[in-house]
Amino acid sequence: MNCEIKRSVSLYSYQDEFYNHQLDLEGCLRETAKAGAAGVELLAEQMIRRFPLPIEDEAFREQWFGWLKQYGLTPSCYDAFLENRIFDNRTLCLGEQISMMKRDIRLASLLGFPVLRTLVSTPMDVIEGSLSYAEQMNVKIGLEVHAPFSLNSSWAEGYLSMIRRTGTRFFGFIPDMGIFCRNIPDVTREQYRRKGAKEECLRIVDECYAQRREKGFVKIKYDLNLGKANMEYRMANGMQEMLDAVKRAGGGPADFGYANESFVYSWSDPQDLIDNIEYIFHTHAKCYNIHEDYTETATDIAGVVAAYKKAGYTGFLSTEYEGGEHLRDDLPVDSIEQVRRHQEALRRAIEG
Amino acid sequence: MAGRQIFDPCAFRNVEKDGKIIGYSFAFKAQYYRSITLSIVRDLTVEVDGEKAAREDIRLTVNGQPFTLEEMRTVIDPEYRWEFGDFATVTVLKDGGLSKGPHHLRAHQSIAPSYMPFTIEKDCDADFDIA
Repeated sequence: MNCEIKRSVSLYSYQDEFYNHQLDLEGCLRETAKAGAAGVELLAEQMIRRFPLPIEDEAFREQWFGWLKQYGLTPSCYDAFLENRIFDNRTLCLGEQISMMKRDIRLASLLGFPVLRTLVSTPMDVIEGSLSYAEQMNVKIGLEVHAPFSLNSSWAEGYLSMIRRTGTRFFGFIPDMGIFCRNIPDVTREQYRRKGAKEECLRIVDECYAQRREKGFVKIKYDLNLGKANMEYRMANGMQEMLDAVKRAGGGPADFGYANESFVYSWSDPQDLIDNIEYIFHTHAKCYNIHEDYTETATDIAGVVAAYKKAGYTGFLSTEYEGGEHLRDDLPVDSIEQVRRHQEALRRAIEG
Repeated sequence: MAGRQIFDPCAFRNVEKDGKIIGYSFAFKAQYYRSITLSIVRDLTVEVDGEKAAREDIRLTVNGQPFTLEEMRTVIDPEYRWEFGDFATVTVLKDGGLSKGPHHLRAHQSIAPSYMPFTIEKDCDADFDIA
C-alpha cells in the first residue's frame, strides 16, 4: 500500500480572514503550517497586491521563499485565472490568450510551483498552444474538474484525446472533491433555512439529490458555451421535475434557491480517480463543514483517499475550504479552525 | 447579524470642493474572492433613499485615482486593481450632496470573471448618517 499522499492547503480557504484583514499572506502561510500541511497552494490574484508586479520583483520572491523555508512549506499549485474576457467588447484572440497563459506559467515557475491550475473555460487551443512552454518551464497545466464536470465523461475524453495526440506529459486533471459529494452540505441547507426555506421543499431537494446519486449523474458534454452545456446537464439530471415538485409544495425564492444550488454539487464514483490516475497530479480537497469529530458534511474523504491509495497517487490533497460562502452574509466564519480539522481528517484517512 | 463587513463605516460623507458640496461618497469592498481589474466591473449602480444616481455621475477611486464607469472599461493596469479585501471609494456627483441625518444606500456590483458563464450580481445595503 502506497501512503505517499501529501497534504496541502489552498490559501483560498482563508479568504474570509484575508478579507477582514485578520490574516495577511504570511499569516496564511503560518496557519497552513500550524494545520500540519506540507504544501501550499496560492491564488496570486487573491493575496498578492498589484498582481503580477511583485512576482517579477526579486526582493518579493526572496521574502516568499524565506517564508516557505521558515514555515517548512512546499509550493503545490498555482491557481491561474485566464481573464480572456478582460474587456467587455470582445474575447481575447487565441494568440493573446496563449500569451496570458505563458505569463501565468512563468509566474508560477518564479514562485516555485510545479503545477498551474487552469479553469474549464480555458479553450483547448490555448492549452495546446502553451504545452511546449510549460515543458520548457517545467510547470504542468492541470485542468480543474469541478462540478458540474467530471472524469470519465465525453467532456474529459476531449482532453484525453488531445493528450494522446500530442503525447504531452505536461497537461492533466485536478479533480475538485466537490464532485464526490454524498449529499448537499449541511451549511448550505442551514443557509436556505435561515432565508426561510420550507422543510418540505428542503426534503424534496435532498431526496432528488439522493436519487441523482443513486441513478448516477448524467455527465456534462464538452461545449465552450458553458451556460448551454450546464443547462442541458441540469435538465438531463431531473432539474425540471425537481422544480415542479418544489412549486407544487408551495416553494418560494429560498426553496428555489436551494433547488438550484443543489447542482453546485455532484457525485462521481471514486473509481474515476483510479481510471485516470496517470493524468492526475493535484487535487482540490474541497470541504464545506468539518464537525468537531472530524467528519466532513458532504465530501467522501474516505472513498477518495482509498481510491488514491489503491492507485498509488503521490500528489497533494489540498484543502479548499468553501463553507464560508454559506455563512458570511449573516454569521462569522472560522476558516482557521475548519482547515485545521480538515487537515486532521485527511491525515487520519491517509495514515489510517 | 454578524455578517462580514462590506462598507467602511467611517467613509459615508458629503464631498466638498472649493467650498461647495459637490456630491457624496462611501467606500466598500468587492464581493468576490480575488482582486480584479476595473475592466471586469461591468456595472455599479447607486441608490440613496430610492433615488438612483445617473451612471455618468459615478466615480470609483482605487489607489488615489478616480475613474468614471466608462473609463473603467479599459483599466487593466496592476496599480489600479480593486484589491481583494480593500475598500474602493465611490463618489456620486450631486449638487448639495445628501441632507444631514439618516439615509439608506443600495449599491449594486456587477462583476464578470471571465470563466463564469454568468455575472456576479450583488446588492450591498447600508444605513448611515450624514453628520
